[in-house]
Amino acid sequence: MTSIRVLIADDQAMVRQGFTVLLDAEPGIEVAGQAANGLEAVAMAAELNPDVVLMDVRMPELGGIEATRRIAARTGTTVKVLMLTTFDLDDYVYEALRAGASGFLLKDASAAELAQAVRVVAAGDALLAPAVTRRLIAEFTRLSAGPRPPMKERLGDLTERETEVLALVAQGLSNAEIAAGLVVAEQTVKTHVSRILVKLGLRDRTQAAVFAYETGLVRPSGY
Amino acid sequence: MRRKQEAARRGLLAALRADLWSTAADSLPRMRGPRPLARLPHVLVVLYALVLGLFPDGEGIDPTVPLLATAQAATLVAAMFRPLPAFWASLAVVLAGARTGMTYLPQTLTFPWMVEPGARLPRFQHADPVAFPWTGSGIFLHAGVLFLLALRVRPRAAAETLAISVLAAAACVVLLPEQTGGTPVLAVPVYAFAVASGMMTRLLRTTRTRLEAQEELTAEERAHRTLLQERSRIARELHDVVAHHMSVISIQAQVAPHLVRDPPDELRDNLAGIRENAVEALTELRRILGVLRTEDSAKDGQAPQPTLDRLGELLANVRGAGVALTEEIAGEPRPLAPGVELSAFRIVQEALSNAMRHAPGAAVTLRLRYRPDALTIRVVNAAPAKPVTAPGGGHGLPGMRERAAMLGGDLVAGPTPDGGYEVSAFLPAGPSGKGDESAP
Repeated sequence: MTSIRVLIADDQAMVRQGFTVLLDAEPGIEVAGQAANGLEAVAMAAELNPDVVLMDVRMPELGGIEATRRIAARTGTTVKVLMLTTFDLDDYVYEALRAGASGFLLKDASAAELAQAVRVVAAGDALLAPAVTRRLIAEFTRLSAGPRPPMKERLGDLTERETEVLALVAQGLSNAEIAAGLVVAEQTVKTHVSRILVKLGLRDRTQAAVFAYETGLVRPSGY
Repeated sequence: MRRKQEAARRGLLAALRADLWSTAADSLPRMRGPRPLARLPHVLVVLYALVLGLFPDGEGIDPTVPLLATAQAATLVAAMFRPLPAFWASLAVVLAGARTGMTYLPQTLTFPWMVEPGARLPRFQHADPVAFPWTGSGIFLHAGVLFLLALRVRPRAAAETLAISVLAAAACVVLLPEQTGGTPVLAVPVYAFAVASGMMTRLLRTTRTRLEAQEELTAEERAHRTLLQERSRIARELHDVVAHHMSVISIQAQVAPHLVRDPPDELRDNLAGIRENAVEALTELRRILGVLRTEDSAKDGQAPQPTLDRLGELLANVRGAGVALTEEIAGEPRPLAPGVELSAFRIVQEALSNAMRHAPGAAVTLRLRYRPDALTIRVVNAAPAKPVTAPGGGHGLPGMRERAAMLGGDLVAGPTPDGGYEVSAFLPAGPSGKGDESAP
């Protein structure tokens, strides 16, 4: 198995170097590059095509959220973004998830948590920190009572089974857990999830979870 | 039952006594209008008293009439200062006059000075003599006392004095019919009118005063709230800076063991301890920031908290808005403590935005001076081309002052002799700033 290639984007050299040391020490993870601001991150993501970008929210020139949006907007990209924040559960983090980030991590996470997060995000078969992420999404979908786009239609494209799987994804279950719950093979769940993502035009299961909450398929009170 | 009545009667008497047997009175509600005219009402009262007191409209039968008129005029003047005692005095004059002060009413109500000297006016003596209190002067003097009283005491007390005056008039009609000729009946509406207009004026003025006080309070409260908001914004920014540093510490503590080959256990434990403490501090900081966070904190955006490194960016923006901006940086620029850098940036930002708001088109000069012990900031703008009343100004200054004060410095702001405006800040800053090369 080839190692997971990571791009680190943070305006503080100390943080970039620190994460590089920590990640390089992990087996199966290598740091492909470092970016000092959002613009550099976007350019380097296109150039290096890393598996995961560790993205700081606050950066000069271009903030992390906007950089994430640009990276995620590139067609056919498989680059996953993992947001780094000093504060959890704030609206930037939610904004970042909506912009296309696959998960978020506190900057003071331990080396083990950091490596684990990179692996989960790269593999894409489970939500990162399911409980926290779900709570965050639930909280912000409840607060932002914005206009609901006509997503019901898009939801209508899903088969009954796929809708069921989407709801479970939104509740933070991994593919393995969903497979166990539905008594099917994990590979089947994987197929369902990728079909869901294709049909809904979503990047990954984090986006799927946000989508499920925003369309009301999953109710915030449902956890 | 009787007892109850007795108690009620006693209570009523006590209330009356409290209302009416007192020298205290509310201060006269403030008059609207220019201050030089503040004494005008007093002058008018004295004139009124003089005219009615010295020229009672009566052809005295009784020599006491001029005396009575003077006495009652005096009570009117006294009513400006001690309305309740003056009322009792005036009432005493009324009652005394009703008994003795017989006079005739002239038919012409012309005032003496309007009569040509020597001209012989046809006088038609009133058929019946009337007692002094029921002549025009008598009625209007007592009414004047009632009016002044109604201005200064509670409406209930004023109503009570009116009732007493009416009772007195009624008593005169009943007990001294031959001396009154029914004229006291005329006095009643005049008294009532005087009391009513006094009460109304009092009500209007107290309402207005209360309203003004309320408005003052609201403005004060608003200023206070703005200050608190500003304070919590500053606190949030400073805590934010600390939190970023703290998270860097937590990362570095984790990285350090990787930097040496086979780190000894003591070093590992020590670094783990540093990390643990940093993470704990961060948890606390997050809690504090959660408290300080407000709706507008989302507007802080995705940019890091600014430092003077980003001053160039700010100045370029200001110039981009068409401001003729000159900058002078004196002394040796050096990195300062993050809090100082942040506050300095915010002060410059706020001062420049004030200059743009209040003096559009005017030239602005920014002077930064790095002194060994401090950083001084001066933002001066020239006079605006035309006077501007900028909407909602003034909120920036308390915030700037607060920022300077938090760092142990100070900030002064004020107009310059040539019509411009100047903001000067002094921020104490030690010789060495942060060791780190970058800002959080």
